[in-house]
Parts: sequence; structure tokens; C-alpha cells
Amino acid sequence: MEDYFSYTAKLFDPAAVNEKTEILKGIRVLDFSHVIFGPTATRLLAQYGAEVIKLELPYHGDLWRPATYWGKYWKHSNPLWHFVTQNKYFLGLDLKKPEAKEIIYRLAETADVVAENFAAGTAEAWGVGYTQISEINPKIIYLSCSTYGQYGPLRFYPGWDLLAQAASGVLSLTGYPDTDKYYKLPDYLGDYIPGNMGAMAILMALYFRKKTGKGQYIDLAQSEALMRLLWHFTFFNLTGKEIGRTGNSDPTMVPASIFKTRDGKFVALACATEKQFAGLCSAMNREDLLKEKVYTDPFERLKPANAAALTKIAGDWLKSLDVEEITGLANDKGFPAAEVLDDYQICHDPWRRQRGSVILFNDEMYKELVMAGPSAQLSKTPARTKWLARPIGYHNRFVLKKFLDLSEEEISVLEKKRIVGTFDDRPGLKPPIYYNLDEDPIFHYGREGKK
Amino acid sequence: MSNKPEKEQVYARYVASGKTVQHLASWGKRLAEVMNPEGKPEVLDDILVLDASYANFSGIIAASFFAEFGAEVIKVEPPDGDPCRRMTPFGENVKGVGIPFLIEGRNKKYITLDLKNSEKDRKDFARLAEKAAVVIETFGAGEMDSWGIGYRQLSQKNPGMIYIAITPYGQYTEKARQFAHFPDSDITSQAGSGLPAQVGDPINSPEPYNWPLKAGMWAGWYISGLHAALGGSFALIHRQNTGEGQMVDIATMDAYSCMVGFPPTIGYTWETARPRIGVLDFILYPYGCWRCKDGLVVIAAPRDHDFRALLKILGLWKLEDDWRFTPDRIPDVVENAMILYKAIEEKTVLYTADELVNKALRYSAKAARSKWRGGGVPIVMKVNTPPMTLDNRQFAIRKIFQEVEDGTLGKFLINTGFVKMSESPPRVKWVSCDIGKDNNDMRKRYLQE
Repeated sequence: MEDYFSYTAKLFDPAAVNEKTEILKGIRVLDFSHVIFGPTATRLLAQYGAEVIKLELPYHGDLWRPATYWGKYWKHSNPLWHFVTQNKYFLGLDLKKPEAKEIIYRLAETADVVAENFAAGTAEAWGVGYTQISEINPKIIYLSCSTYGQYGPLRFYPGWDLLAQAASGVLSLTGYPDTDKYYKLPDYLGDYIPGNMGAMAILMALYFRKKTGKGQYIDLAQSEALMRLLWHFTFFNLTGKEIGRTGNSDPTMVPASIFKTRDGKFVALACATEKQFAGLCSAMNREDLLKEKVYTDPFERLKPANAAALTKIAGDWLKSLDVEEITGLANDKGFPAAEVLDDYQICHDPWRRQRGSVILFNDEMYKELVMAGPSAQLSKTPARTKWLARPIGYHNRFVLKKFLDLSEEEISVLEKKRIVGTFDDRPGLKPPIYYNLDEDPIFHYGREGKK
Repeated sequence: MSNKPEKEQVYARYVASGKTVQHLASWGKRLAEVMNPEGKPEVLDDILVLDASYANFSGIIAASFFAEFGAEVIKVEPPDGDPCRRMTPFGENVKGVGIPFLIEGRNKKYITLDLKNSEKDRKDFARLAEKAAVVIETFGAGEMDSWGIGYRQLSQKNPGMIYIAITPYGQYTEKARQFAHFPDSDITSQAGSGLPAQVGDPINSPEPYNWPLKAGMWAGWYISGLHAALGGSFALIHRQNTGEGQMVDIATMDAYSCMVGFPPTIGYTWETARPRIGVLDFILYPYGCWRCKDGLVVIAAPRDHDFRALLKILGLWKLEDDWRFTPDRIPDVVENAMILYKAIEEKTVLYTADELVNKALRYSAKAARSKWRGGGVPIVMKVNTPPMTLDNRQFAIRKIFQEVEDGTLGKFLINTGFVKMSESPPRVKWVSCDIGKDNNDMRKRYLQE
């Protein structure tokens, strides 16, 4: 039989991705969402071929466009925004105007999915909530994202990722027990994780609709989505005790911690099973530990005093080794160990480039950008990046002509009334300075006389 | 306490009109009924999932998501049980079952097959896989293949099968070959995918507080499990459309970087790694956690008008035109951001969490009804510990915690319903997880024994 890794290399060949099937081709998504939480759900759909029409207020646009890391722009754009908005169609439309609503209602007739993450109740108030859209299109799948949900006494409380981390209990878990510092999960993880769950809920609803013909309403609260990731509630309920902050140690296995190495780097090391623990003891030349009852029984070994003693033994040993030696020994002896990697290392890691989980994408407008690839590699229907973020209203003509058959004249009228519009001359909103929009065929889609 | 029904307060201008408030009140009531999962159909009630994951919770978690959406999920483990049963905080367990395994045991059947050692059991597994829509495994890359039960063998008899493999470095590339048998854990998945590098105090702080710090939860394993379930869900759509299965490859060393996308793009555009900045935030400020009189609060006032509102309610208006915090409070000068952090802390410690929350809510409610549009929404919230979350009224009304009872494990609370769906919601039905408890039933049903 063919060698397994040459077989899988063909199965997952990154060069063949663009020839493969797009699963969600023909699925149309109206995306009213902004910042990270909702846009992450629709981004995932767009990566698998859905037509995601992203709605923005003309001349202002998404709140996250200009809010960049330490105020640094990349080619007049927020570099991190490209990941969240890839493959989307950018429509600049002032939803508060009645004519704009007519356009939305017409788009809703043929849409499959609507997503929004306004403060709870806002979409309903603007006439584009589930009660209104489902009357136009009863088979619609409608995802509402919020911090606390669409019903219950806290539903109108304002919120962001941080508030969900606080409400769910997540924020109380990271840090050292002997300090008064509590670290939040970085990089708005409290938006990204629930966003992924939102995509999953939409897929389940699409699957259900195909079987039954029924659409549905999805109410996703990011605080509840985060709570799904914690065993702490059941732990408290059963033991009456709190886990609290445990610093760099994982209380569910031992040793399992982050250690400093001889070369001044950091390594995470864990022993999740008896076999892995035996492997570590052998690597440390400490097989004697395997004869002590406090270390042979897994539940006994996890008791705080025993765990602390073992963590110290492992830490002292690791101080005498370089990180490469440790991961090599881990591979030989069969226990998990990994260097703590930073942004630069992840960006330049050859394994990730070969795998396609970090990609160098070449965009028509922005040229080269390194970004994250798909989180799951699918052999027959892979996710892909087709284009990066675009200025506000970049796809106005494309969407209105192609999907709604509007004429150039009708669009001009809408533009004059400032119902449809594009961007102000501000970083984050406009195209890169070297880019000539006048010659862009998509921006001028179907327009006579323009190149 | 008055007996009058509580009037719902709103904090956003667009929902503040009388007509809208009325509409939303009845819509909210209707939703509370509509979102009750009882008696609703289950979306995946027509598929079988085999979970052969071993010593790796990401596989178990992926299987749990399918089980919550109604799939028949069979957990396959050797006769002495999956080592995951013994991974539990401080060794706390219920009759030998650790707490993470207990909560992820939801809605599953349990059978014993020794795939590592028994040729006969592998044959039984292959026969089961003929009936399966999804197979999940976490053995070494190519290990199942070498046993004759990998994707390429099983898919010959069952071309509609979705085969999800989860390992640290995936199923292809030279590195995957070199580290094919590398075991997995949560903390290595976190570290290898870039999370701890972003958490912890600045480099000039005392050790070990300036070290990279892990998230205090299984961020690596839960994200990997979610990636696997999501990848599997996309594959299920394709299977529903065409009848065709495929292989889904998850590398747990991708967990964090592929979830948020920040590390590769920052590494490229900045040509360096970010420093750790303790409790500050890189983009939004103020956006973090502060001490108060009786515990902790989080404060988010990222936009300029939110910030001004915050200064007003904390009595810090004198800082409004301080050059260090205008115009945008981008915390790229960490020292200035820390000065602001301390100035806010001097005020927050004077009040209880409830007082601060109410100050902010009162302000926002008033601003929402004001004609002046520059009011801002300063947000303050109490930091919950898990027991406080358990007591929270919102989550009680939304039935996020459910009491379950099992003959072996007894009675306890479990989290459920992470998303509310009007037609085909996820749910928890049972939690029993004795080793091999469904051997007879499942063999009868799927192997005609």
C-alpha cells in the first residue's frame, strides 16, 4: 500500500484547494453584524462558498475598521480586519431610511441566512428583525448574536467580549492565586469562540431546513457560549469547592505547566496519562517516582500537595535543558511538550505554511498578507480565502445590479439621496493609496463608459 | 420590595420608543416559550457518530456537540476505559469518573473495543463504521491506517463517511510524519498555537509573573474540539447534498492562531511579536478588570463618548482634556495607560460592584432617552466566579444549568443549551457513562448480534 503520508499529501494538497467544491455555493447571507462576534460566524460561511453581503452604514462603516492595534494601520486598513471580512460583499446602505429597508426586504426574499449582533432588540426596532424578515421569507435562518441573549432580565444590558468573559465566570480563572490580578482571555476570544458556535448553529439549521423545509430563529448569547467551555460549574456543584486561578498549572493532569528552559525560552509540558508520566520519569531518570504510591495513583497524584511536589521536580529538571532537547525527548519518550510560541514564530513557522494553516495570500487590492488559514482541513470541500476586506460600498453596484437587477439610473438616485454610499477619506475606510478605484471593474460593475 | 412587575429598562436609543418597548416585551415573552427544547425535533437524529478518541478531550468534545444536536454517538474505548476519565481538577471524581469526562459524557453510548491490541475488535469497529456518518479519532497520524481501519480503508466500504482525525501536527507534511505519534494535551495546544505568549505581565515585571501564562480553562482542547465539530458540520452539509464523505484533519497546534487569526498577521505586519502588557488591552481602552470595594468589576468604555461618560460617573472629569489620554487613548505608551488604570482604580475601590454597575446603567438609560446623541454607553459589570454565574437570574431563566440524575453518578448540575434554536435546539438527555454499558444494545443494533 502507498505510504500514508504521501497518500495524505495528495488528499490535502494546498495547491489543489481552489479547484475543489465550495459547499455553500448558492447560499446567500445577509450580514448586518459588525466588529467580531457576528462577522466571525458569517466569515466561516463565506470561506466555504456562501455569498455573504455585509451591510455597513455609508461613510462610517464597521466600528472595527479604524480601531487598530496600537493605532497602527497597514496600507490604510486594519490588518486584523481582513481575516474577519474575507470573501464578503461590501454594501454601503443606510438602514434607517425607508428606501434602504425596501432593498433589504427584496434581498431577504431570496436570502437563506440573516445574521446580526446589534444590542438586543435593535434589529426588531429597525424592522429587520426575525419577526419582520420571517414574514417575507418564512424559510429564513436568522442568527441573533448578543452578550446575554434576546430574552431574560439582562437582555438589554450592553456588552462586548469582555462583559461575556466577566458574566460567564471565565475572567475569574486566569492568573496567579497569590495576586489580585485577573487576566482576560486575549484577542477578543470571547467573540471568536461564540462566533464559531454561531456558524455551527447556522449549519445545523441549514441541515434541518433541507430535511424539513423549515427555517428558524437562533438566539446566541456569547456569555452562554463561553460557559459551555467550563467544567467549573459541575465541579462546584459536586464538591462545594472552587478551582479558582491556578497560575500556569493545569489542575487536571500533572505535571502540566509552563516552565522556563536553560536557553531562556518557555516550554509547556504535560502528562495526561500513566504512559506519558512513565515516559517523563524515564526521560528524567527518575523511575523511582513510579514506585511511590502518591504518584502511581492518578487521582492521588493530582492532589495539590503531590502535584506541587511533582511540578517542582519537573521544573528543576527542565531548567537544565534547552527547549529543542525537551521536545526531542518528548517525541522519543511519548509525552506532550511544546515551546510557547509568539506571533513572529507562528507567522514564520514552515510547518504551518506547508499545512496551509498560515497562508501568504496575494490579494488584487492589498497584495501580500500573511493570515490564518482554515481551522479544519477538509479533503474534498476545503475552506479558502478569495479576497480580503474592501472599502465601504465597494460591491454596491455588484450587489444591487446582480442580485436585484437595479439599473445604473436607479442606483444614482439612491446615491444622491445618500441611501447607498461608500467611504469617507479616512484610514480604515478607504482603499490603499496606490490603488486606482476608477479602473476597478467590480467597483464599477456594469457601468458603461468606465474602464 | 414591591410586588409590582419589574419594568424593563433599555439602554440603547433605538429601542427606547414606546411602541418598540411594547413589541419587544411581547417578543421576549414569546421567545422564552419558543426556545424551550422539550418535544422539539433533533437535527442529527438520522446519523451515527463513532468516537474512538483516546487520551484526548478534543475528540470527546467534538463528539459531544454532535450528541447535543441529536446524533447517536457511540464512544469506543478499551476495556480499562479512556484515560480521559482520570483527568480531573485536583483528582476530584465521582466513582472513578473525573468531572470533565462526566460533563462531556452527555447523550452518549459506551462500548468497549480494544483497537490498539485486538484484531477482532478492529474488525468489529470496521463493521460499525460501515453504518457511521462520522468517525472521530485521535490516535497517532497514520496509526488507524496501519491497523487497517483508517480513512482510506473505511471509506472504501462507506464512501459517505466523514472521518475526523485530531492530532497535534495533523495528517500531512513532513512535520506530521516526524511527530506522528506525539501525544496531545490542552496546555501544549495552548502554548503551541500562541495563546500564553499574549497573557501575563510586561517583561520588566518580577518573575514568574512576567512569564507567558496559560488560560485558566481548557482553551486548547475546547477550541480544537469546536474546530473539529465545525469542520465536521461543513462536511455533513456536503454529505447531505451529495452523499459524499471526506477526511477532516485537525491540528491542535493550530487551535488559538486559527481561531483568532491575530498571531500570523501581527507577526507579518509588525515583523515582531507583541509584548505582554498585563491587564491592559491593545486596541480598546479602558477595557479590563478593576478592583472595587467588594470584589471585581470589568469596565469597557472604548469609544470616546463612552470614555467621557465613564469619567463623569466616576467623578474623573478633570482627566477629560489630559493630553496623555486624548484623543484616542491608544495604550501604545504603556506607562500612560497604567496611569489611567490607577486613576480609575482609585475611584472604583470606593464603591461596591452593584453601585458601579447601577451608576453606569442609570447613565446609559438616560443617554438613550436623551436628544443629545453624544451620551455614550459606559459598561460596568460584576466579575462572576463560576458559583456566582450559577446563581445568576439571567441564566436561570434561560435554563442554562440543568439538573441531571444518574443511577451510578447521582444528581448534579450540568451546563446545557449553549445556543437557543427555535426548531432544532441542542440539549442534554442523559449523562451515564459506565464503561461498556451499551455493549449488548449497540452490538445488537449495528452488528446484528
